[in-house]
Amino acid sequence: MDMGKNKVIKWFSAQWAGNPLFSTTLALCAIIILQTCALGFDYASFGEWWSKFCNNWIIVLRNNATTGIVSLGMAFVIISAGIDLAVGSTFVASGALFLLLLDSSGAGLLSAAGLSGWPAFAIAVVLVVLFGSLLGGVNGVLVADGGIPPFIVTLGTMKIYRSVTQHFMQGRSPSFPSSDFGSFSTVTIGGYMVMPIVYWLLIAAMLYVISKKTVFGTHVVAVGSNEKAAKLTGISVKAVKRMVYVMTGALVAFASVIQICRIGSMDYSNAGSGYEMDAIASVIVGGTRMSGGRGTVIGTMLGVLIIGVMNNLLNLYGVPPFLREAFKGVIVIIAVLLQKKEATS
Amino acid sequence: MLIEFSNIYKSFGPVEVLHGVSMSVKGGQIMALLGENGAGKSTLMNILGGLLRVDSGEIFLDGSPVVMRSPNESIAHGIAFIHQELSPANDLRVYENMFLGREERKRFGFLDRAKMRQKARELLADLEIEIDEETYMRDLDASHKQIVEITRALLCEARTIIMDEPTTSLAEHEIELLFKLVRKLVAQGVGIIFISHKLNEVKDLCTDYVVLRNGYVVASGKMDEVTTEQLSEHIVGHELAQMSRTAVMHHEDEILRVEHLSRERQFSDVSFSVKSGEILGITGLLGDGRSELFRSIFGDTPDYEGQVYLDGQPFHAKSTSQAIRVGIVLVPSNRKENAIIPDLSVLYNGTLATLRRYCRLGLLRRAPQESEFLVHAADFRLKYGKLDDLVTTLSGGNQQKVVLSRWLNTNPRILILDNPTQGVDIGAKQEIYEIIRKVASTGVAVVVLSGEGQEIIRLCERTLVMYHGRIVGELRGDEMTEQAIMKYATGLGA
Repeated sequence: MDMGKNKVIKWFSAQWAGNPLFSTTLALCAIIILQTCALGFDYASFGEWWSKFCNNWIIVLRNNATTGIVSLGMAFVIISAGIDLAVGSTFVASGALFLLLLDSSGAGLLSAAGLSGWPAFAIAVVLVVLFGSLLGGVNGVLVADGGIPPFIVTLGTMKIYRSVTQHFMQGRSPSFPSSDFGSFSTVTIGGYMVMPIVYWLLIAAMLYVISKKTVFGTHVVAVGSNEKAAKLTGISVKAVKRMVYVMTGALVAFASVIQICRIGSMDYSNAGSGYEMDAIASVIVGGTRMSGGRGTVIGTMLGVLIIGVMNNLLNLYGVPPFLREAFKGVIVIIAVLLQKKEATS
Repeated sequence: MLIEFSNIYKSFGPVEVLHGVSMSVKGGQIMALLGENGAGKSTLMNILGGLLRVDSGEIFLDGSPVVMRSPNESIAHGIAFIHQELSPANDLRVYENMFLGREERKRFGFLDRAKMRQKARELLADLEIEIDEETYMRDLDASHKQIVEITRALLCEARTIIMDEPTTSLAEHEIELLFKLVRKLVAQGVGIIFISHKLNEVKDLCTDYVVLRNGYVVASGKMDEVTTEQLSEHIVGHELAQMSRTAVMHHEDEILRVEHLSRERQFSDVSFSVKSGEILGITGLLGDGRSELFRSIFGDTPDYEGQVYLDGQPFHAKSTSQAIRVGIVLVPSNRKENAIIPDLSVLYNGTLATLRRYCRLGLLRRAPQESEFLVHAADFRLKYGKLDDLVTTLSGGNQQKVVLSRWLNTNPRILILDNPTQGVDIGAKQEIYEIIRKVASTGVAVVVLSGEGQEIIRLCERTLVMYHGRIVGELRGDEMTEQAIMKYATGLGA
């Protein structure tokens, strides 16, 4: 008995010290248990509780799918020792383009070009993703070739992208043909509206493979971990840096598409604002090192979930909405403290 | 004042660098602290200077134990550390530098310039130093900067001064000036710890010596009871003195030829060539420009003048990846800073330069990556736990082997090694020499950049000595001795 207990403690402390995702996973479990309690777990009416539980989870996941996708891009940027503050503005700029392309009030750019139906939709998605990549590419070129610190570059483009979008969209109010294309996000499977979650998971799976199984994934870690050594090894540091911003731009644009299909409109002054901070928070809580070189796709997913479930929990427990951001702040700080402990032990 | 180190132990991570070092220095002594790079000299002095803490052991000042928790505490105990690389505030005047951080003040915290000038003038006159205290620091030459640094130490009443290779960047007459001052200070009862690689100079100046090798004190005593040859043997160690030299052979095919290469303030008018299968050494003292020269050839700093020929054809690498493609490879010095990716595993660090080769349809395949790496791992007798362990879990020598295998995977034709045995122990050193000889025997042209005379002598067939960015001497086979190398390296060869 005592031996067994020792073993558990040993395993626990080894995981705690050696596995960067361990404390994140533990935190998530703790929050889920709290959530279970909040939903009034009752053994007698298990079936009822289970459906409430599933429903609640679908809502949490769906609400976090867009920020989840943005966070995955952000994780790559941060692992490369960069940062992208322009994700929210890229989100709104791409969304605006998407609406202009598919405007149902008769002035849609694609319908003017004689395209309609799902082919038009597909072309619009491709164009929007390319546009997002372009906006990301501007960040990437300024960071990699201009040699300007990423914080400064993306602080600048954050202002530029949103302000230009707002100015350009003044007096224009394209409306999204939700009845035609909304199903891209809203179609239900087994009674649940899960498409945003499906896209999120597919993208996560793709990025997982990129991070683990491709040269690019390894080079991102190398550049973030020791840029000088990476350069002397013949890795094109500039190309890697450009690529992470391009990738993030593309992901953000796609997130914007999902969002518009789901809610059918976009508020150019508020949509996507705060995404940069939410994404950074999720990435950090997920165990990614702020100075680059360390971080995982799975960790980032856990980070997004912790913050998402936490929000849900605060909601369930009836914490006043203005206080919720404070909880988010506390979690981020605790997460970094835990990582510091892991780094020194 | 008497400083005593008693049984000092110090480790960095898993590597113990000081194994119970004991020594003492008292006022009026000039103690030569000798040893190769990595012998533990700097670690020991950094402990005394308050930059590092001991793991165990004690330091006694005049018989009472002290703990130096910061450079300031060390200074408060009358110990001054004059570092090899000086960092004076060049835009301030001499007297301002002397009082930097300890300025004399008047009421309300205003500077008392008159008093500082007065004190500075007195001290300089006292030491018979002809420097005007009003001169700007930037207008002084290297030796005078050094001297100002020493007066700074005296102003805070240092009773013991550590001088870390103070003469490396000084000319002959400047060295004279410095030694004159040192002797004067010692006559006043100051104790000096003098770190240097130049044995003749040490023999001339110092009264006592301590030799460290691999973290142990291997010899100590009075300077007039020992010859420079004996010192040299103590420093190098019996094992290395016995280590075999590379046989000098005849090589036919010239691979790389460099003509009149220059880059502003780094190297000028450098011409040489290297043949297939040859091991060529490039050596010199701090500031000789050898690393900069090869960084340029490797395409890291490609904006040079002059012409490089590869197989007789003009070639100019614009980037490191271009150089690697044609088979020019540089294993940089300072492994931790320039070569190791601390967040990647042993396997990935060892195969980082050739990852594309293991891909199919854009996805990395583990099997070919692993098998290529394992060939080198076995060949080099690499000691590691698992392939997926972080590379930082390995010892210095094994990390260096991982870095070497990263480069050898690229099948280089010209292998440039900058300081290949930095911070590795003697056993690993020998193994790395063997690896290098084996690589050369397959027809690779090897260029070894090193500041360690013994390394050049053991490993290379031919050596070019650089001084202030120029090649000033060439030595072959038995002509390579520490004395001959040093003669050229200090600019006295011509």
